[in-house]
Amino acid sequence: MNPALVGVALAVVVGAVVAGSARNARSAILGLVVTMVAAPVLAEPTPAPLALAARLVGAVLAGYLLWIATRGDRLQTQGSLVGWPTEAFLAIAAAVVGFGSHGLGAPTDGPPLAAAAGFALAALAVLPVVTGRDILRIGLGLCLLLGGALLVRVSLGGTPDALEELMTAGLVATLGGAVAILAVAARTDGRPGFELSSTTTRRSSHGANAHPRGPR
Amino acid sequence: MSLVVFVVVAFTSAGLALGLRARPMATASLGLVGLVATVLAAVAIDPAQAVVVGHSGLATTAYLRIFLILGSLVGLGLTVAGLAAGTRRDAAAVTLAILGASGLTLGLVDPRAAVLVATAGGLFGVLVTLVPTDGRAGATIGIRETRAVVVAGALAIAATAWFGRDLSQLAAQPVVFGLAYLAFAIAVAIRFGAIPFHLWAARLTDVVPETSLPILMALAPASLAIVALAWTDASVAPLLVDLDPARAIVLAIAIASIVLASVAAFVQDDLEQVLGYSIVGDAGVVILALATLDPEAWAPTRTWILVFIVARSSFAAWTAGIRAGFWTGRVEDLRGWARRSPVLSVAFALVVIASVGFPGLVSFEARTSIVELALDGPMATLVLLGTLAPLAYYGRLLWIGLARPDRILEPIDAWRPRISPPDVTAMRRWLRTTWNANRAFSTASVALLLGVLAVATSAGAFEAPAAAAGLPPSLSIPSEDVAPVASGDLPEPQESSAP
Repeated sequence: MNPALVGVALAVVVGAVVAGSARNARSAILGLVVTMVAAPVLAEPTPAPLALAARLVGAVLAGYLLWIATRGDRLQTQGSLVGWPTEAFLAIAAAVVGFGSHGLGAPTDGPPLAAAAGFALAALAVLPVVTGRDILRIGLGLCLLLGGALLVRVSLGGTPDALEELMTAGLVATLGGAVAILAVAARTDGRPGFELSSTTTRRSSHGANAHPRGPR
Repeated sequence: MSLVVFVVVAFTSAGLALGLRARPMATASLGLVGLVATVLAAVAIDPAQAVVVGHSGLATTAYLRIFLILGSLVGLGLTVAGLAAGTRRDAAAVTLAILGASGLTLGLVDPRAAVLVATAGGLFGVLVTLVPTDGRAGATIGIRETRAVVVAGALAIAATAWFGRDLSQLAAQPVVFGLAYLAFAIAVAIRFGAIPFHLWAARLTDVVPETSLPILMALAPASLAIVALAWTDASVAPLLVDLDPARAIVLAIAIASIVLASVAAFVQDDLEQVLGYSIVGDAGVVILALATLDPEAWAPTRTWILVFIVARSSFAAWTAGIRAGFWTGRVEDLRGWARRSPVLSVAFALVVIASVGFPGLVSFEARTSIVELALDGPMATLVLLGTLAPLAYYGRLLWIGLARPDRILEPIDAWRPRISPPDVTAMRRWLRTTWNANRAFSTASVALLLGVLAVATSAGAFEAPAAAAGLPPSLSIPSEDVAPVASGDLPEPQESSAP
């Protein structure tokens, strides 16, 4: 087994644990950036330089947009409800399952470490995506879920070609941008956090409120 | 390559429109110009081109061209209707970005790359969930939409990756095939907001302008559905393994969506929610097609998808016309609408004909074929009757429209165009006044035009059925005489000792 890949896989998982458990918004984003930057390298052979560059640009752009969205005085996100040690054990368990079930029944072109890291990321994404009550935390969970799916794809099908890497970079950047926009929008009411709204905006159906206007 | 031109035009226009979003009128104008440009770029697509990039690439087909022409036309129509009836400043940019992503999705030869772009296309929709007056509530709905799109994308990525390799030495049980197929089918169901994955889509109707709903709920997921259909036909359908349990789940989702969405649309009070559930119901037919696992469903399904997009868009334009003309979207408040707006009445009739159809109409036959390929015997008859359930909510709307009006907000001739003599000394003011005075008429006219387009698509115009029967994108030269076949590298059917 390539020791460098082991180190990269470790960085991916540690970053994901931080992203999934930190309460400080920017610490969580930093963890996510580490995961997103390291994940494209977790392939054998390593992607072509241009493809790798596109992935890195996509990851950094996503992280930068999220960083901008969390400008402010020590903004907090919901963080893990079970604590980082539990998250870490969950990631280790999932990684063992991913490593052991590599290929899911057929020979593959990708490294088993990608499967291990992919399963770990997917497992870490479950709690924020399913139980998150915070826009940023759900968004970070979705980034981890996407990262996990992409790593599983690498473990099954091998290193993606340049075109697919370019599309992947676009998707990662778009997701980061979408979560950043939603996070900024959530704070327009003056409240500091990213909690979900407890009320639902309902379209007005009566009289002048429904009268056509210019785009808003 | 002509598809690249389309994609560049769509994304550049979207980017410029978003860049100018601080000036709503400028961004709206730029969006309109961009949409006109995408219509022209779509018409200019050559349906037999291929570009090789590494081991993969982009290719155009006649179906891709028709899809993008119709998509661009309805996008343009809905944007104009939205400007007249009330919309979000980013609506045009979102439409452009989704059109660009759809073009790329349908042109990519490798389904593993196509699902990535289809997922990114779904994410652009969050921009129109943002409510100016309550950012947090809009963002809450937006993150739920994002969650649905990304979860669906992750399922599709995993499914296509599992099949997208050499499976000739497979030692897994058939259940793994079933799970991969189920994952992709559920991904499509989630994207369409099919029942039981409809909660995010139902909330979407609370904040998204009616003219953007078909773009988010029909056009964007449709490209993923077309990729899923091609992938299923090439990878799953040829397998001689027992997929019945997975297929039963997909059938259940499809039938629940077809029937229950019509019931939900019937009982809703807000027109936007009627529109939302009507989209879910028609999408159920697309999901039903994924359950057929029969290449015979290829052409009718792709034909139905075109009709679905255009018919739902014309219904959305009609909804916008109602809101602009009667100042309400509440069904109970619409007594007498049909008596008071002949243009909207005709548009409504066209919407019903296009979406429900009648025997002999291409869309009706396509839907019937899908149902008969998916189901047998009495169940097929019942589901076929279920596909006519939209008549119930259309009937309710018509019943209310023919009732005696219970309140008068506008003069009886308010539906007519009102054009005062132009004032050459103040043309801008005259234009603004004329536009404001004719918002209802403009929206109703767009609804009428989209209704005509929907009926034409339903009747098989634009050579849509022939295009729908063509091959999926391929880097080889397309041939009209070759039917879709499975790709290589598929496993030979083998005995399994697994329980």
